[in-house]
Amino acid sequence: MFSVEFQAYGYVAATIFLTVALYSYIYHLYKNRRDADGHDYEEYSNMALHDGIEDTPVNSLPKDDKK
Amino acid sequence: MENRPLEYDYTVAKMFMLTTIIFGIVGMSIGVILAFELAFPGINTILGSGLAEYTNFSRLRPLHTDSVIFGFTISGVFATWYYVGQRVLKVSMAESSLLMFLGKLQFWIYILTVAAAVVSLFLGETTSKEYAEFEWPVDIAIVVVWVLWGVNMFGLIGLRREKSLYISVWYYIATFLGIAMLYLFNNMEVPTWLATSAAGETHIGDWFHSVSMYAGTNDALVQWWYGHNAVAFGFTVPIVAMVYYFLPKESGQAIYSYKLSLLSFWGLMFVYLWAGGHHLLFSTVPDWVQTMGSIFSIVLILPSWGSAINMLLTMKGEWQQVAASPLIKFMILGSTFYMFSTLEGPIQAIKSVNAIAHFTDWIVGHVHDGVLGWVGFMIMAGLYHMAPRVFKREIYSKSLMASQFWIQTLGVVLYFTSMWIAGITQGMMWRAHDQFGNLAYSFIDTVTVLHPYYAIRGVGGLLYLIGFVMFTYNIYKTMTAGKRLDSEPASASPMGA
Amino acid sequence: MFHWLEKNPFFFAVGVFAAIAFAGLVEIVPNFAEASRPVIGTAPYSTLELAGRQVYIKNSCNACHSQLIRPFKSETDRYGHYSLSGEYAYDRPFLWGSKRTGPDLHRVGNYRTTDWHENHMKDPAAIVPGSIMPKYTWMYTKMVDIDTAFAEQLTDAQFFAVPYNKPVPMKELDVDGKPKTKIVKMGKSIAEANAMALVEAKDIVKNMKDQDIKDAVNKRGEIPEIVALIAYLNSLK
Repeated sequence: MFSVEFQAYGYVAATIFLTVALYSYIYHLYKNRRDADGHDYEEYSNMALHDGIEDTPVNSLPKDDKK
Repeated sequence: MENRPLEYDYTVAKMFMLTTIIFGIVGMSIGVILAFELAFPGINTILGSGLAEYTNFSRLRPLHTDSVIFGFTISGVFATWYYVGQRVLKVSMAESSLLMFLGKLQFWIYILTVAAAVVSLFLGETTSKEYAEFEWPVDIAIVVVWVLWGVNMFGLIGLRREKSLYISVWYYIATFLGIAMLYLFNNMEVPTWLATSAAGETHIGDWFHSVSMYAGTNDALVQWWYGHNAVAFGFTVPIVAMVYYFLPKESGQAIYSYKLSLLSFWGLMFVYLWAGGHHLLFSTVPDWVQTMGSIFSIVLILPSWGSAINMLLTMKGEWQQVAASPLIKFMILGSTFYMFSTLEGPIQAIKSVNAIAHFTDWIVGHVHDGVLGWVGFMIMAGLYHMAPRVFKREIYSKSLMASQFWIQTLGVVLYFTSMWIAGITQGMMWRAHDQFGNLAYSFIDTVTVLHPYYAIRGVGGLLYLIGFVMFTYNIYKTMTAGKRLDSEPASASPMGA
Repeated sequence: MFHWLEKNPFFFAVGVFAAIAFAGLVEIVPNFAEASRPVIGTAPYSTLELAGRQVYIKNSCNACHSQLIRPFKSETDRYGHYSLSGEYAYDRPFLWGSKRTGPDLHRVGNYRTTDWHENHMKDPAAIVPGSIMPKYTWMYTKMVDIDTAFAEQLTDAQFFAVPYNKPVPMKELDVDGKPKTKIVKMGKSIAEANAMALVEAKDIVKNMKDQDIKDAVNKRGEIPEIVALIAYLNSLK
């Protein structure tokens, strides 16, 4: 049946896509170590450690800069 | 007033802390009663035969599971979200009166929903589907509560000062989405009042009765897709969210590897949903679904252990804190139990093991080492950490907390060891044949042999409940009699003797 | 790309949803039509049986009893032929259970009688020494809700095309070698449904000993829960 076959190919393609995506994500994280804003990923742990309302955000939103 | 510095507002968090504790006591007490009913059946009629219908094992069982899931755990998830969410996003609930209103509204609708659920389950109004027993009017109320939570969550995220979302927020978002999808699809049902007879009457019989939209094998498949993943998105994902916040914060240690936490997240999201088929091995669902369930359950060890190891390694070089603080003990033992049950589960999902384990008490043991050792410990640890910051007082007693830890740990150990032995004994006896190829045991032989293990399990559960009452007392005294704090502690929670 | 995802809550949520929805689509959808096809010999539940099924659900019998016989020798020896997917075609909801504190019941109608159930439900430990099953005494005094069972039948027929009042094929063959058929009837009105259930109930109580139950059905035209439950259990074959 056409639709079943179509489904099967669709699933295989989607599985491969998601696997590739996951592995490239791993590669991306460990290769670059820093995200596009120039923050080392490990800095983000500080979001929990310095979480007072007056603490400086690790990565401020632009709207805050205007204040 | 105008010059008062902006502070986090924990009003809603406090409300849900209260329900976490109340529903915890209710759900665990019912659990202990159930455990002893299996060991000593006379307890089924403890309030006399007139009320036997309401004290009976089968009527109480859904009340136990649903009150610990939708009462204790979900309250704990809400309570911690309304605490952690504000802090890692660096935005206060006080900044938006709308979100504040919605948070309170969510709480009160939640309370009404729970009341309706309790009454309907006592009366036996159930759809029979595990952890989805409620009839459609209650289902709709649950959806409303959930949507309000989602609006609040995304509302708070919209107001945030921190551009990146902390890993805990990822897990909270996943909890919201996962449960929403699962709950909706599994509870598809047609209310009977939509049907009309040839004679034209409507509203025949109970107005709240409904018929499942799926039949037989399909219904089973959808239910266990739900049942398994409700555990995923109710008992794993939000609890990981908690540990990723509370452990680093309480210990003052940065997460061992933030990158590993991101990877484990996506791994868990993708893999978890496939594993539901392991509840249906050797059933009438297609073989390939069963095999898929089995394989993915094994694969699931990786992302689960990714998070758990990340937690344990966060304490690297700081193990003296584990010895010194009972609060960190809860979290570290919780993470260890998480590793333990995420290894045990995949083992049970291997087909040849499942042939023995399925339908036995080993499964019950597996669930409970996860929920008592991991979910319960983490939620209590979270509340303990929150208490000094929410109430601005020192935790009332450290020694009480330490005793509670050891009593509950002993309870969990008694629980799962007795259930292992019971389950494997029963599984082996069911399949034993004598030398002539006849069944070696009648069914009742496999029941009476379990009596000592059922009794030990009851004691284990009782110890855990006693520990939970100590926890309640400690929190209550913290609120009312703990030493006042001038400033918020940066990491380790201050505790009185 | 990933970095962008982490800072855009909306697209992040979409990504998470795609990752978690994928498995459900693959596992559940393809088999849907096939699994719901009934095997030959499976008929819909009669009004009284369905009412009994509701009693079964109301008391969470499925918390302790499975209705799924796995394909192992030890199980087929104990409970009978292993379960087939199509046998559950009219089970809404399914009642496979997840725990066997008591034995499987999928084919209990083959080896237990009305009389046995009547005594057993009253005091299980008296019939099976050592049994930890509670007594279900209230089922002998409470009356079953036939109206709701009828409403469920109507829903089944209207929304799920369950073949009430239509011939369904049975396993036995007639003289021409064709499968015999069976028609499960459903009432046209509440009154008729109740009358039909009462006829069924009278048939069950013939084999019961409890005089109160017999009087309730034969003299007063009321149906205690236990009668409906036994009708349901007897139908499990």
